Amino acid sequence: MLTEVLIVGVMVGAIYSLVTIGYSMVYGILKLMNFAHGDVYIFGTLVCYTLLAKFHLNPFLAVLAAAVSGGLLAALVELIAYRRLRAAQHRMISMITALGAAYVIQNSSELRWGNQVLSFPSLFPNQSVVFFGIQISVTHIFTLCVAVVVIVGFNLFLKYHKAGKAILCVSEDIPTSSLMGIPINRTISVVYFLGGVFGVLGGVLYSASYNAISISMGFRGTIIAFTAAVIGGIGSLGGALIGGMILGLSENLISVYVSSSYKDPITFLILISILLIRPTGILGSTESGKV
Amino acid sequence: MPKISKKSAVKFNVISHLAVIAGLAVLPFIIENPYYLGITNLILIYTILCMGLNLILGYTGLLSLGHAAFYGLGGYATAILMTRYGFSFLPALIISGLLALIFGMLLGVPTRKVRGDYFCLLTIAFGEIFRLVAQAWIPFTGGAMGIVGIPIPRIFSWTIRSETDFYYLGLILVVFTYLSLVLLTASRFGRAFVAIREDELAASVMGINTPAYKILAFSIGSFYAGLAGSYLAVYQTTITPSSFRLDESCLMIIMVIVGGMGSLLAPISGVIIMTLATEAFRSLADYRMLIIGVIMVTVLLFRPQGLFGTAAFKD
Amino acid sequence: MFLLETRQLMKHFGGIMAVNEISLSIEKGEILGMIGPNGSGKSTFVNLLTGIYTPDKGQTIFKNQDITTLPVHRITEIGIARTFQNLRVFQNISVMTNILIGRHAQIHNSLWEVYLRPLSAWKREKAAREKALEFLELAHLTDRRDELAKNLPYGEQRLLEICRALASEPELLLLDEPCAGMNPVEMDTLAEFIQRIKASGTTIFIIEHNMRFIMAVAERIVVLNMGKKFKEGSPLEIQSDRGVQSIYLGEEEDV
Repeated sequence: MLTEVLIVGVMVGAIYSLVTIGYSMVYGILKLMNFAHGDVYIFGTLVCYTLLAKFHLNPFLAVLAAAVSGGLLAALVELIAYRRLRAAQHRMISMITALGAAYVIQNSSELRWGNQVLSFPSLFPNQSVVFFGIQISVTHIFTLCVAVVVIVGFNLFLKYHKAGKAILCVSEDIPTSSLMGIPINRTISVVYFLGGVFGVLGGVLYSASYNAISISMGFRGTIIAFTAAVIGGIGSLGGALIGGMILGLSENLISVYVSSSYKDPITFLILISILLIRPTGILGSTESGKV
Repeated sequence: MPKISKKSAVKFNVISHLAVIAGLAVLPFIIENPYYLGITNLILIYTILCMGLNLILGYTGLLSLGHAAFYGLGGYATAILMTRYGFSFLPALIISGLLALIFGMLLGVPTRKVRGDYFCLLTIAFGEIFRLVAQAWIPFTGGAMGIVGIPIPRIFSWTIRSETDFYYLGLILVVFTYLSLVLLTASRFGRAFVAIREDELAASVMGINTPAYKILAFSIGSFYAGLAGSYLAVYQTTITPSSFRLDESCLMIIMVIVGGMGSLLAPISGVIIMTLATEAFRSLADYRMLIIGVIMVTVLLFRPQGLFGTAAFKD
Repeated sequence: MFLLETRQLMKHFGGIMAVNEISLSIEKGEILGMIGPNGSGKSTFVNLLTGIYTPDKGQTIFKNQDITTLPVHRITEIGIARTFQNLRVFQNISVMTNILIGRHAQIHNSLWEVYLRPLSAWKREKAAREKALEFLELAHLTDRRDELAKNLPYGEQRLLEICRALASEPELLLLDEPCAGMNPVEMDTLAEFIQRIKASGTTIFIIEHNMRFIMAVAERIVVLNMGKKFKEGSPLEIQSDRGVQSIYLGEEEDV
């Protein structure tokens, strides 16, 4: 029993990590609380749902198209709602704009898809295999594999690709990067795009393994992404991974051993305790402003 | 330009205030339709809420997304006190306000360590936990069905029953809110809040104990939300957790922003515009929140100081 | 008699020793200057005195009281006010309100008085306004009282910041590079203003980059270099000191 709960926990954790990466990157670079993140990835996941359930598209193509649509939407939101405010004197303004953007996306999606829970088709064969006497569903294995491949791939991209290095550079210091000839606006668009893509991948994997999707998961996704990012330390890839895992595992353990109706309150409690005890995250360093 | 003498300016000020109050006092005789009077009462509730939120958001510069929770605390406190413990309205109202104040104080304490966005997230978490607990703790809060049958309020010999009665009760609360905020914001406390918004470090160098003042602003602002919640409970005679969702906090923020932050009366214009807009779009129920979101983003992009706000948040 | 004394004040950031065992004293009623090349620890030193940073080691004594670990607002309350190197007036607020915020610690209205005895609270507010006008008068800013601070020319914003600090009626006024960004005319106005503040009995500690200005204004000068006290003396002694010259020449060569 416990082993199975842990395995599901690790899978959910991997999905949460995917959702968190994009969020954490954006936050690390712009210090902007992107409230629209969850709604963007739910939008993409719903696109995937339509392509699969209504048009019976090849799953691979459907996921790809959905991920790109989510990425484009994320980049579009940045272009329209956030870019103008980057230089705003008070950060609060851009935070509230982000909230407004979340509303717009959420409610537009609701117009198209309604607010009920839709049944999301499975992506992987509904079978399970037995490893050392433990039964593991194929869905869980595939989900975990996809998540690991994406995270490792993104890590390599950041380290070795020119555009990836540009992202790291911009997240260190925008003015300096600009002096060094890195196209700031384009790099930021790329970050938003990738954040959207990873978010949609996470959303699709989550929905496919639970066979369910609804609009209301968007806001929850934003909170989970932020919580995981804060737990692991903002702007760090490893942090996103650890944060996602901690949340995924604790959620599943609580659902099984306490009650699933306390899942969300406890996620929030974890968030509050982390904020109170160690606001810079487990891996984050303490920062101090210059006077 | 001829200079208006100070004395005549004060006189003008007093006269205009009295004129507005007189106008508001006879309003129910002009609007007789109970539906429109109902909307007016809604405007009064949001005015109390937004004036309180403005103290936190517009004056002190703290982004709180948990205002609906304090509103809900007041609502539930009044509902529970009046239905289960036989309290009459006035003590229930005061206790509701104070309860919100105490919770505001508790939530304000972390501002000492938790800053900016993290604080905002903390208020979201608080608001959601409040709502989820209200939903899950069925024996005490009635769960998702909420509490029904809240008795008709009486203050001394005044039984508050009709829309007009509730209008006057709401008006009294709004006037109380406004006057108490005038006293506060015109004092060194109000200036300290503004100083914190403008530059927290410089404020502390002015001798302002910034953490204490942030807690103060937060708890006083929440107090008014508690009063509004108490009013809502007796006005609706029922209270359910769905009235206090995050959307509600967002709506209040939009109202404050559309009206303008950092000036006492400016949010009222936002309240009126947004309430009327919400009513006007009622037939377009599906598009309502979408339109509100678009209004929010547009205002912030093109007029961040709001329609009547001070220049405080302009780039 | 010493108004303020530091004993081996020390502060480091990471591996950098920003302030290294600085001991100095400020006498009541004097104008003490502090100079030193960029990065010599002047601003850190002021931040240590005003509680913005807490020193790693050492003590600060003000009026025979240990203020080393007091929070920022307490230090203002007991009589030290300051201005900032990078001008921090409250931009979106009127000049008058800026001064009134500066006077925060001197207006003794409690929350209860504000709500329950509004008339007596209002009387104190009125007195504070009158007092604020005196400070504005001192800097010739009376006509500007209703303007937003950001609409003032740069030099006047600097004066406003000093007025705001004075409004708390400090015994010690710390000016962190007050003439940064000023033109020569504004500098003369500032020098004259500082003399008037001194005449009113306030002790002044100025950190400054501009040699001509500090030599004309200060009565005694401390030179910092690489976080350490390098030299202390009258303006004449400092001006003719070869060591001090070489610090500054060395810096010029680097530039």
